Amino acid sequence: MAGDKSPSVESLLEEARLAAAMPSPEERLRLRTAAKLSRTQVAQACGVGRQTVANWEAGSAEPAPPARLMYLRLLEGLAQLHPAPVETPEAAAAPVPMPPAAAVPHFAEAYSAFGPDGLVVQGETAPCLRCGAPTPYKATDGRSLHPGGFCPAPTAAPTPTAATSRTAATSPTAAMSMAVAAAAAPPAAPAPETAPVSSPAPEPGEGTSPAALAVQHAQRHQSQRRARSAARAQADTEQLIVRAVRTELDEAEGDADAATAALIKRAIPDVMALFDETRANARYDYTAYPALPDILHKPKKGDPDLIWEARPNWRHPDYRRHPDGALHVTALDVNAAYLSAMKTWLPIGKLEHSTDGVHDRKRAGVHLITPPAWEHRDLPNPLGDRDEPGPLWVTESTLRLLLRLAGPKYRLLDEPPHIHESWTSGATENFLDALRVLLAGARTKAIETGDDVTEAYVKAMYAKFVSTLGESIHNREIMRPDWMHLVRSQAFANLWNRAYKAHQAGLTVISVMGTDELHVAGDWRPVFPEGRALGEMKVKTDRDGEPVTYTVTAPDGGR
Amino acid sequence: MAGRWMELGRYNADGIGGGDALGLGIERMVTGLQSSPHSERGIAARLRYLTASEAGYTAMERAGISVTARTLYAWLAEERSPNPANRLKLDVAYWDLRRRNVAADLKRRLMSRGGTRVEINPVDQTRVEGRHQRDLATRRLSVRPRVWDAAVDAWLADDAEALDRIWDDLIPDLGSDYDAYSNVSSIGWAA
Repeated sequence: MAGDKSPSVESLLEEARLAAAMPSPEERLRLRTAAKLSRTQVAQACGVGRQTVANWEAGSAEPAPPARLMYLRLLEGLAQLHPAPVETPEAAAAPVPMPPAAAVPHFAEAYSAFGPDGLVVQGETAPCLRCGAPTPYKATDGRSLHPGGFCPAPTAAPTPTAATSRTAATSPTAAMSMAVAAAAAPPAAPAPETAPVSSPAPEPGEGTSPAALAVQHAQRHQSQRRARSAARAQADTEQLIVRAVRTELDEAEGDADAATAALIKRAIPDVMALFDETRANARYDYTAYPALPDILHKPKKGDPDLIWEARPNWRHPDYRRHPDGALHVTALDVNAAYLSAMKTWLPIGKLEHSTDGVHDRKRAGVHLITPPAWEHRDLPNPLGDRDEPGPLWVTESTLRLLLRLAGPKYRLLDEPPHIHESWTSGATENFLDALRVLLAGARTKAIETGDDVTEAYVKAMYAKFVSTLGESIHNREIMRPDWMHLVRSQAFANLWNRAYKAHQAGLTVISVMGTDELHVAGDWRPVFPEGRALGEMKVKTDRDGEPVTYTVTAPDGGR
Repeated sequence: MAGRWMELGRYNADGIGGGDALGLGIERMVTGLQSSPHSERGIAARLRYLTASEAGYTAMERAGISVTARTLYAWLAEERSPNPANRLKLDVAYWDLRRRNVAADLKRRLMSRGGTRVEINPVDQTRVEGRHQRDLATRRLSVRPRVWDAAVDAWLADDAEALDRIWDDLIPDLGSDYDAYSNVSSIGWAA
């Protein structure tokens, strides 16, 4: 539409023709959802905002000229692809939609009678005129009828047509009208859904009272709406990533390297904005600036605090790298280790001190422990390459790994670690999960479409998010060094788990290093799927893009 | 200090005055040299910073460094090293000057975009007996530019009473239980 300032007579005529048969708001919504298009997509195609499309579909606004032609063309095309199941779109477009009762004339004459208190009038128990089961509730004409026409399951009412159910379910007037419809309207949509709800409860008085049904309906409608709005919120949040990439690409006039650099530069504020988005309506309110125990304060800027993150740096002591060695080793890389590690138990509030030495599964934090000895030569110590003996501060992630290894499933440790002190708070595992899912989705999509710019942007976002969660001057929006340590040590624990899996599958673990490096000897492909997805492993490549492989000598000294 | 929570810790609540927390928060925003005041590198950096301007010499004077010009030249030329007492004084003088120099920048950061929103974490009540515990939640409060202006000035002058007054004027915006926030466990903000 941008180009043609004076529309041609043909286009005006077409617009007038289409506008004469403009579908009703319900039909507009039905056509769009049937075609599985998002409002954003439609809005972009018509050159309007997303909310405008929502208004058109809600009936609170009518399409206006500049965008109307395109919208009508779209609807016409969609109507050919997805004709209405019962009525044609033209019929549905009638200004006053037929009342749903007319669609099922069967029970048109029977309505529940409501007393002045808003409840259904009751009288002598008599067979229901619809299902025959006895009921005390009365219809307007004095005969017995289950309230609202919702008869118990076994002899349920005939299912109304899909078309009427859909129009009722998606009608613009929200929960209120649903509740009213549930209680008053005779046969409409919810009948088949309510039947199973009321059937297990045999007392008809409580389970089927119109008020209870109205409440049930309002609740279900609300939860449906919540699920829908959550999906929509996630789609909107994904759009933030897409929009940022598009903006920077436009700014750089298509220069991918410049756009990537600009995106990496803005990664920290952007990821904090995404985090805030995912926290909207969340269950827990976290504190971004809690009073921290001394162990979590850096003694000096640049110096580390006292927490041991259990970073691995381990080589198998019996094998030596040698050009003529018998064993062929492949270096494997975990994909996006810190992104996966964002699913970990994180303390929500301020850390509280305890010295009772008991591990509470519902809390998370940091613990001063004396670890048991590690006596397995073929596997790395889950505590990383710590040389100093004695007690040390570890995070929840490491402690949970140690407890698991001491448990009946693994039996790799003789006894659980001894806990001396803890700083913990009530915890949840889902804290960063929405953010993790969002970023993982964007990453997968970027890899599928070969979009290097978005991929680098997403990588910068999660990596910088984890590394600046603490007392960083680059990110002042949050100061949770405890979270930073927990996420990191979760990544190391995940790497340990992979090493263990390789060992269990009969591979020889040669080296476990850093956050994501696992060197194994043997055929690893049956053990780990190869690829770039989060659950998969890829072969490490050197600077020239060559896969990293080498040979080692066998432990018996054979060259 | 406002209200009825005059005796912090009477029932084992743990925290600090809101004004102190405000000062600590501003203090946390100051960055500067990381090298030790006793290392060669640290001494050289501090001397360079302090001798670059007239304000530096004033700062040294305030810190009680009274050496002759000849000694100062010897320090700068690294012919001689200051004794431990003077090294500490140099450190004091450096941070004194540094705070003055960054104050304007701190104000700009805190006052831009109509002020900065502050998160207030209530006092730690874990050791308070149940019947004396209050139901306190983390609260957030927008602090306006003129308040930040006064707060940074008070912090620079090391005026704990003024910071306290500023805090007491702020918290009534929290509502009827503002009293409980005269003392806090921590406050923080992004600026």
